[in-house]
Amino acid sequence: MEIEVLKNLQWLWAAFSVAWALHIGYVWSLSGRERKLRSELEDIRNMLQEHNKSED
Amino acid sequence: MSESVPKTLAVFTGISVLTTVYLIFVWVPTEATMGIVQRIFYFHVASAAVSFLGFFIGGIAAIRFLNKRRNSLDDLSVAANEVGLVFAVVNLVTGCLWAKPIWGVYWAWDHRLTSMLILALIYIAYLILRESISEPGQRAVVCAVVSIFGMVDVPIVYMANRWWRTQHPAPVLGGEGSLDPNMAFVLFFTMFALAMLFWCLVRTRQGIEALRRETDALRREVHALT
Repeated sequence: MEIEVLKNLQWLWAAFSVAWALHIGYVWSLSGRERKLRSELEDIRNMLQEHNKSED
Repeated sequence: MSESVPKTLAVFTGISVLTTVYLIFVWVPTEATMGIVQRIFYFHVASAAVSFLGFFIGGIAAIRFLNKRRNSLDDLSVAANEVGLVFAVVNLVTGCLWAKPIWGVYWAWDHRLTSMLILALIYIAYLILRESISEPGQRAVVCAVVSIFGMVDVPIVYMANRWWRTQHPAPVLGGEGSLDPNMAFVLFFTMFALAMLFWCLVRTRQGIEALRRETDALRREVHALT
């Protein structure tokens, strides 16, 4: 009986761990994408600023 | 979380999710037949409900985008669909991990499980398609059509265990089955907490899509200058 409960607990633990790992992984990927886009945006803005300065 | 999510919403979501963990692991009574493993049910069913919500929001935003051609609606559509897919994958994985100790197998090719898998595959195809079309206007229109197509599949998944004989349990809400009031409370609370989490993720994803649009526009400007 106790072994059965422990076995079931393993499945419960596995399901919750995987579910949270998926959510955390997704949040991680979102923050990575945001960081990459922000630095790309900054680079392009700098490039445009330098281009405008050289034209002046 | 990103700047697109208000602090109060993020804090409220965190508290709701932590309360859910307490309710599922400590407060709710253990089901008599399946035992402790039945507690997967709350997360499994709530994830499915939130994924359906996401696909509906994505589909309705896509219909409105085709009418009004506003970029913010395309941003909402992709955000809701992508986050909905995350919840659909959580639903599928937790379902497999619940099925193994109860059915003895991880997967059965029955109507409910297969239709849910097809739904997830439609949205994986949607995201692949989105990355493969470079022209923004064309990308938004084609993806809006796929999003509407995916939304149409949601009622089929929901009704699968009513329309066909399946191995999947009968519906416990709005069906023949009945649910203990404490269990029903925990299920609804989990749905609420996951819906809050869903909204935080959608807001973040919308912000990223707006950033991407801005970056693409500036990149085109640079391209035209050089």
